[in-house]
Amino acid sequence: MPETVQLFVTCLVDTFFPHIGEAMVKVLTRAGVNIDFPAAQTCCGQPAFNAGLRSEARPLAEHTLRVFEKTSGPIIVPSGSCAAMVRHGYLELFDGDPLWYPRAQALAERTFEFTEFLVDVLGVTNLEAHWDGKLTYHASCHLLRGLGVDRQPRALLSTVKGAEIIELPHADECCGFGGVFSVEHPEISAEMLKRKINNLEATQSPTLVVADTGCLMHIQGGLVRQGKGQRVVHIAEVLENREWRIVDGSQDLPFTNP
Amino acid sequence: MAVKTFRSRIRESIANDALQTALDGNAEKRVKGCLAAFASLPDHQERRQRAYAVRAEVIAHLDEYLAQFIAKVSKNGITVHRAQDAAEAVKIVLKIIADSPWRRKEHGENQNNIPVHLRSSAVNSPPLVAKSKSMVSEEINLNHALAAAGIHVVETDLGEYIVQLRGERPSHIITPAVHLRRGDVGQLFHEKLGIPYTEDIPTLTNTARKVLRAVFLTADVGLSGINFGVAESGTLCIVTNEGNGRMCTTIPPVHIALMGMERLVPTLDDLALMLSLLPRSATGQKLSVYTNLIHSPKRETDADGPRERHLIILDNGRSAIRYSLLAESLYCIRCGACLNACPVFREIGGHAYVGADGSIAPYPGPIGSVISPGLFGCENYGHLAQASSLCGACKEACPVDIDLPGLLLRVRAGEETRPPKIGGERREEREDEKKKEGIGLPFALKLGLRAFRLAARTPRLFAVMQRVGGFLSRIYSPRSAYMRAPVFTGWGFSKDFPRLAVKPFRARWRKINRDPQRTGARGAKDAQENIKKKNELRALRDFAVRSSLTDQFAEELAALGGAAYRVSEKELPGKLAEFFQTRGIDRVFVDEVGSRYVKGISLVRAPDSDVRAGITGALAGIAETGSLVIIAGAGKPLTASLLPEIHIAILKTSEIYASLPQVLNLREVREAATGILITGPSRTADIEMTLTIGVHGPGELHVFLIDNP
Repeated sequence: MPETVQLFVTCLVDTFFPHIGEAMVKVLTRAGVNIDFPAAQTCCGQPAFNAGLRSEARPLAEHTLRVFEKTSGPIIVPSGSCAAMVRHGYLELFDGDPLWYPRAQALAERTFEFTEFLVDVLGVTNLEAHWDGKLTYHASCHLLRGLGVDRQPRALLSTVKGAEIIELPHADECCGFGGVFSVEHPEISAEMLKRKINNLEATQSPTLVVADTGCLMHIQGGLVRQGKGQRVVHIAEVLENREWRIVDGSQDLPFTNP
Repeated sequence: MAVKTFRSRIRESIANDALQTALDGNAEKRVKGCLAAFASLPDHQERRQRAYAVRAEVIAHLDEYLAQFIAKVSKNGITVHRAQDAAEAVKIVLKIIADSPWRRKEHGENQNNIPVHLRSSAVNSPPLVAKSKSMVSEEINLNHALAAAGIHVVETDLGEYIVQLRGERPSHIITPAVHLRRGDVGQLFHEKLGIPYTEDIPTLTNTARKVLRAVFLTADVGLSGINFGVAESGTLCIVTNEGNGRMCTTIPPVHIALMGMERLVPTLDDLALMLSLLPRSATGQKLSVYTNLIHSPKRETDADGPRERHLIILDNGRSAIRYSLLAESLYCIRCGACLNACPVFREIGGHAYVGADGSIAPYPGPIGSVISPGLFGCENYGHLAQASSLCGACKEACPVDIDLPGLLLRVRAGEETRPPKIGGERREEREDEKKKEGIGLPFALKLGLRAFRLAARTPRLFAVMQRVGGFLSRIYSPRSAYMRAPVFTGWGFSKDFPRLAVKPFRARWRKINRDPQRTGARGAKDAQENIKKKNELRALRDFAVRSSLTDQFAEELAALGGAAYRVSEKELPGKLAEFFQTRGIDRVFVDEVGSRYVKGISLVRAPDSDVRAGITGALAGIAETGSLVIIAGAGKPLTASLLPEIHIAILKTSEIYASLPQVLNLREVREAATGILITGPSRTADIEMTLTIGVHGPGELHVFLIDNP
């Protein structure tokens, strides 16, 4: 029997980018695992936690714990920062709590970021994916420095047939999202985003790959605002592709900016 | 309004092109320098963990280590004072200055060399204080307090001097004038020091050297900070590059050192560990040019050194932090690496970190956003912690691996000085917490996050909200998947917002789950079996074993801009005579070792403003850093290696040690009133991060290595 994994799609994928969730399901299926989706899941509580509102974050963390405690097997998250929230943030949130801390610990041990699970747990790097054209990878902060996951997504991308991987200059620099930070300090966030977009343009790659949906909506939002044609995709979207697919700047965009 | 002032400062910084260029230059050069310096330390990740453990041990048992340290320091003859707060520290400094019997030394003849604005009035000559860099003095606003008491304080670190002349505060822990460009400094020196306008950095540096040299020679008191105190030996360690730290702690008759109470390490080996990290993180050097190891005032037989040394140990809120959840912030060794790595600091600079009262926080950047609220209260500085994307670049850069993002989160959660929880918490504590949390967060955001929590707590309501949102966003933006968000939302300032999906993932799941493609899962793998902790292989670089310690020493010294010559003892007098002849030097400042080998030219044994070269023996050398070890003692004036433009040292190759810990533990170093590690010629990068050789200390360093049989 293949192991059954629990999908924690995160509120961003659920609400804004369901196609990333679908891509993830296809990739995991191809990798040979059964998937379940606990329907009562909502948000891990990270936005409030990062804003310092722990009393608002706590009920959502408790809810998430309750939902996933009813299930078994690894929990897969398509976002570095949400995975880091469950792995590290919950331990801080419930620190010193005799009831909840052990529960948070148990959940943390079951939680994996998507690419980390594929490479480190399943031992898969080649998913027979195809992508025709240049790709460049942005190393999201919480994925890279929070979870120490970097070689995994890079290994997965390196096996994508047809893709020309170009190193993004300063790939490890923050794009300026940071949750409420981007709303609270829009001026600083905008400058950081500008730097990221300039670096992306230097690669001349029409496609930027990320493994965190926060960065995705932030960088894509900035590109659209600036009228630029580059597309930001989640790594699951790249790995999902089994057909040769031509991606040429704005042609393939799922949206057009009036 | 706290947040309003802060945000307007941020906008000003971003709109200031000169500042942006300066900050970009700082970030790029420092981060690169730091990486290069750590490349020579293959085990640096392991060292960071050890350094974290050392600092954690000190903070956990601070009372015991302080008692041990104070006992040692007092026994060594240094007067120890303890100050609870800024006011008490200032009072102590004033009292030491007023009481000092050495204050009114005969300085008259040197006054003429000092620019008018620095000259003490002949009639009522106020005390002159030469001050080297000290962040603690910034924290207690010492300069202001001393000036108010009629005392003349002159900052002697080039960057600090520039900032003082401008009437500003430093904008960076390590590089105080990082916000300025060379033109600003040229204009400043033109206006204040009366030199013709120039953008030539060596000329500017040399001007400061001349002005400040007179200050060192006439100051009544030298004031400095402390980088580390060593509990087992009572050593006060001060690192400096320009040489001003050496001047302030050697030449004036009284030396006052200011120290935060947390800056201790237990042993000299721990000091060696810290010294392998601090200069690399701060300035990309293996060792700073001058590492001062101070034990006592001038001893009876010593050639020079201050008659009195005082150490003021400051609490000023540190005890409170120590018992709070922000205790880890006390592990900081003030290297400034987190500032250089921080993308937010890079955009806004140190002067933008302002409190609710509009005052500039004494400590900027990521660490400042934790310790400013920690030391001086969340009411005034708590909002600073909100200005971080929590990207973790600061933690990665920190040489003692402080979890800065974690600490910033705790400040945001209002944890500033609350004791850590033990066991479960009571209900009323939770209520109290609620009032303080989210400090600096705008009300609208708090409300939004609360509403979001209410919806996300109930999955059905959440699903309904998603559908409503999807529908509305489709109406708002029928064609584009990204919607134009208004500027007031913050998000809309620079980016568009994604449309909500009409059919969210949860609504698609049933269909996905029934997809026949999914039943064809191939290659069943037992995932559970494969679950393993990731084990990153750390490829340590193999470093070729160097031919000998002497060669390594010479190579390192050359890389620093110094020169080494291998000679036999017999050849030495001839080689020295040749050196002096080619350089046109006819007088030389010698110590007892130098006097044995210099023949045929006139010798001076006390400081003298005309002498261009000083020649000294060296107790030891350090191969891994190219450093010389010099100690105070009878017939060993420290000024001989400090005041002249050229320093010539004589070192026996048998006295070259492989690494720093061996040298720090030498009996002679432990027992000397002062030991100095000299790592290359004096230097600064305080103007536009441009390396300039020769500031207050010698600009040339020549080492004659004697091969003894």
